[in-house]
Amino acid sequence: MTRRLSGVGATRTAGAGTAVWYASAPTLGDPPPADAVDPDAEIERFETAREAAREAVRAERERATERLEDAEAAVFDAHVRFLEDPQLAEGVEEEVRDGLPAEHAVDRTLGAFIDRFEGMDRRTAERADDLRDVRDRLLRELIGEDREGPADPPAGGVLLAERLTPSDTARLDPDRVAGFATVAGGRTAHAAIFARSLGLPAVVGVGEELRDVDEGADIVVDGRRGEVVVDPDAATREAAGGDEAVEIRTESVTTADGTPIEVAANVGAAADLDAAVDAGADGIGLFRTEFLFLDRAEPPDEDTQYEAYREALAAFPDGRVVVRTLDVGGDKPVDYLRTPAEANPFLGERGIRRSLGVDADHFETQLRALLRAAAADSGGQLSVMLPLVATVEEVIEAREAMASVAADLDAAGEAYAIPAFGAMIETPAAALLAEELVAHVDFLSLGTNDLAQYVMAAERGNHRVAALADPRQPAVLRAIHGTVAAAEGSDAWVGVCGEMAGDPGLTALLVGLGIRELSAAPAAVPRVKRAVTEVRDTEARDLAERALSAATREDVEEAIRESRP
Amino acid sequence: MPERTATVVPEDGLHARPGATFVETAAESDADVQVGHVGGDPVNAASMLAVTGLGVERGDEVRVVAEGEGAEATLDELERILTTPEADL
Repeated sequence: MTRRLSGVGATRTAGAGTAVWYASAPTLGDPPPADAVDPDAEIERFETAREAAREAVRAERERATERLEDAEAAVFDAHVRFLEDPQLAEGVEEEVRDGLPAEHAVDRTLGAFIDRFEGMDRRTAERADDLRDVRDRLLRELIGEDREGPADPPAGGVLLAERLTPSDTARLDPDRVAGFATVAGGRTAHAAIFARSLGLPAVVGVGEELRDVDEGADIVVDGRRGEVVVDPDAATREAAGGDEAVEIRTESVTTADGTPIEVAANVGAAADLDAAVDAGADGIGLFRTEFLFLDRAEPPDEDTQYEAYREALAAFPDGRVVVRTLDVGGDKPVDYLRTPAEANPFLGERGIRRSLGVDADHFETQLRALLRAAAADSGGQLSVMLPLVATVEEVIEAREAMASVAADLDAAGEAYAIPAFGAMIETPAAALLAEELVAHVDFLSLGTNDLAQYVMAAERGNHRVAALADPRQPAVLRAIHGTVAAAEGSDAWVGVCGEMAGDPGLTALLVGLGIRELSAAPAAVPRVKRAVTEVRDTEARDLAERALSAATREDVEEAIRESRP
Repeated sequence: MPERTATVVPEDGLHARPGATFVETAAESDADVQVGHVGGDPVNAASMLAVTGLGVERGDEVRVVAEGEGAEATLDELERILTTPEADL
């Protein structure tokens, strides 16, 4: 019986395969012989783990409060209650006294409740999922295992999960996984963005009904329709993944009227470099350096970073490589960077705020690696850009940090060069100050996902308000227009590296707004290049003018529709 | 021994938020609190595992018994949780 679940399409592709639930449950080996276990020490280990798990759940609840209704976030209150349950402590103590280590004692104690709940009414059976979450959290604390990513789903599997963190998504191998679907999240959540750069079919924000999909079910994830189809008929399965092929253009492209438009790729993983080259990208418009920092126990040292930047430059000897300095914060946590739980991580210590503050030393190391890579630049022009700029002072301060790093390298007799320097326009503040910022930079890059989120005051990961955080909102288009206008008459170029740059349906609008550099997920590059060649300059300008005078998103969409030949 | 009987109002029964609030209240009370279906076996109201295991749903009749310091005040609060729609908790 075919069932269709609707969510939000994150990519414009579809994939078919076998459902694999990603539960990230740690695995336990056989317990050691009972006489090798010191019960008192094990009870102490359990208590320590319980305390750590409790703190983690509290932090999780804080984060959930921003995303969900309070009633939904309250699920974590129940998790705290499970952790503090006297029956848990008693059960564990009993098992430990019988000679089991703490992790096996937890597994056995909670396992018994999980089995029991599963056999009860639906509401209680759902609690088994909560208990699994609690159990896994405790086990990870006890085994000292970092949260395992879904490293190896079976080939052709479609991964299903509550939500995927950036590192979870980053670990997915597009050659093995047919796609993924998540319960939570919106079109511009990190998982969705990474799915696009991985070229993975994905549907996010399907909601609770996704949980009813059984492990091993035959499913289609259709990002184009935003649908998950369970037990599809042959025709649906056939159509999945049957995207039309688009010609790869390795040469740079112009509009139909000869205006050159650079189409670069966003790179967020080592594998993206090859994908970007294969897709015929002119360069890299956004190199997300977070990947160099994720999935490690400590930050990558200067040489490791230097090599990574050199590799990116080598991949594009004739193109520009724009490296974004480390962009982490409460919404993109990195274990060893101690990102504190904040009530509003999107309004908290993110991006350049951390680089000029708590992460100043990491920033310095990164700048050293970048300046050295710039010296060894084999033709590609290395550019450095700052994330989440809100004030002119931040740009000045970052420039000073770069000058001081240059002086150090000079004193040490190291070869270096000063790369091109730019700021991302992601905050309304930066868009409003574009004219002042231009005086201090070589380029501005519009991060339209965050820009839409902040201009519209609608969190991009929250599917309840995802329609607001849309770059086609007139207010967002005006912020883009203001930025381009501010740079006119200066030497600074203005590009777009947000997701809208990868949507061929918006290419003419962006060109009409005066954008001359578009940076998109590698998979989108061929389609965007093709869209550029079809743009007629006058029509694009007319479309931009119409969109800028539109009062509603509906009007903008209508203008786009009517401009199509 | 003081006790209360109530018909459960919250949509989630004694799961999720009402359940967590109920257990937390019982756990923080100095009184010893037991809860169960009317006619069923009572369990420790301060144990989320035990309370969840009751499978209490909206419309169920439950009986709460408390003994010790602050028993009456604790019962008042627990009764309020059991009879208040979720949105108003």
